[in-house]
Amino acid sequence: MHLDEEQVQRLLDGELPPVESTRVRAHVAECVDCLARVNLGRREDEESRELLRALDHPLPPLPAHTVVVRARSRRWGWMYRAAAVLFVLGVGGVAWAAPGSPLRALLREVVAAMSAAPSQPAPTPAPADTPVFAGIAVAPGASLLIHFASAQGDGAFEVALTDGAEVVVRGPVGAATFTSGDDGIVIDNSGSDATFEIEIPRGAARVEIRVDGTRVLLKSGAAITAATAVRNGASYVVSLRKAPTPTR
Amino acid sequence: MFDGHYPRLFRYLDRLSGDPDIAADVAQDAFVRLYQRGSFPDAPGAWLVSVAMNLFRNIQSAKSRRLRLLTPHRVERTLADPPPSPDAAVEDDETRRRVRVAIDRLPERERRMLLMQAEGYSYHEIATALDVREASMGTTLTRARREFRLRYEEVWNAPR
Repeated sequence: MHLDEEQVQRLLDGELPPVESTRVRAHVAECVDCLARVNLGRREDEESRELLRALDHPLPPLPAHTVVVRARSRRWGWMYRAAAVLFVLGVGGVAWAAPGSPLRALLREVVAAMSAAPSQPAPTPAPADTPVFAGIAVAPGASLLIHFASAQGDGAFEVALTDGAEVVVRGPVGAATFTSGDDGIVIDNSGSDATFEIEIPRGAARVEIRVDGTRVLLKSGAAITAATAVRNGASYVVSLRKAPTPTR
Repeated sequence: MFDGHYPRLFRYLDRLSGDPDIAADVAQDAFVRLYQRGSFPDAPGAWLVSVAMNLFRNIQSAKSRRLRLLTPHRVERTLADPPPSPDAAVEDDETRRRVRVAIDRLPERERRMLLMQAEGYSYHEIATALDVREASMGTTLTRARREFRLRYEEVWNAPR
């Protein structure tokens, strides 16, 4: 009696009960057909596991204490909110129900004042310190496109790989506008001569950077290809200048 | 406990979703819920996968890129990796694409079973997490593996 598929796979996965395992191993030692099937199954298993490894990304660090802190903050956050709501409802109810309570009259006045008051423009906030750089950050997902809408008269972008989780694009304030859609990030840099900073997580599967529709840099897995990039220590610098028009 | 379960839970979710960020977030959330549970379930590995799959479904139903405005500070940089040879990079990319297509073509149940088996989960854990019969697990896994290899060969032979 030969082994069936279930027995062969369980033997490979160490899922046979001890008594049956001994019996099956003894049979395989004597049966050439079953030995061949076990060896074939083992080889296919190993090849499948090897193929699946092609999908892997680097394991991001997750310290155990991060989990503990998050779990505690979430639990206590919920309890504090619930306690606060109960407290407000309790105090409010007592104040409302107390004989001669001024709360009812006070509420009536507030409602009347709110309905009568003309709408006022919101006060202009005091100017904050002007930031040097601004931009956006976005999770790269399976693939991300960063598109500079225009070539520039001058300027460049500098790409660095990071251990972060997000693609970050920064530029001097006012140099460009940043928008994000399903396809990726669009940088409207028309009329700008600025230099931008781009940070790409090492783990990002695919990030492509285009200037005016032309691909100038591609990170695919661990590989970075950029025809015109210049290595600057840890970074890649790619010019945003318009290509010179060929003379005739 | 954490060190033993986190890497394989992440890898399972990463291979299933193809998105390491989502995999990391979901794995972390699953551990947060395990901590909040206050006691260990009978099969922690299966419990974590089961919870992670529920979280994963919630994320899939409202999948969108997370976008935030930046504060104007510079983050510390680390050294860039040396660029590998273009040929090797293209080959890695192509293998990854083919494996992704092949695994995505499997029925959902078989895909999950195969990915859990590849991470070393026991038949009992797979059956508990995916709510499938344990008695015929070996046969189902054998067929799922064959189906995966067949799909991979189809993708390999298909003209691009």
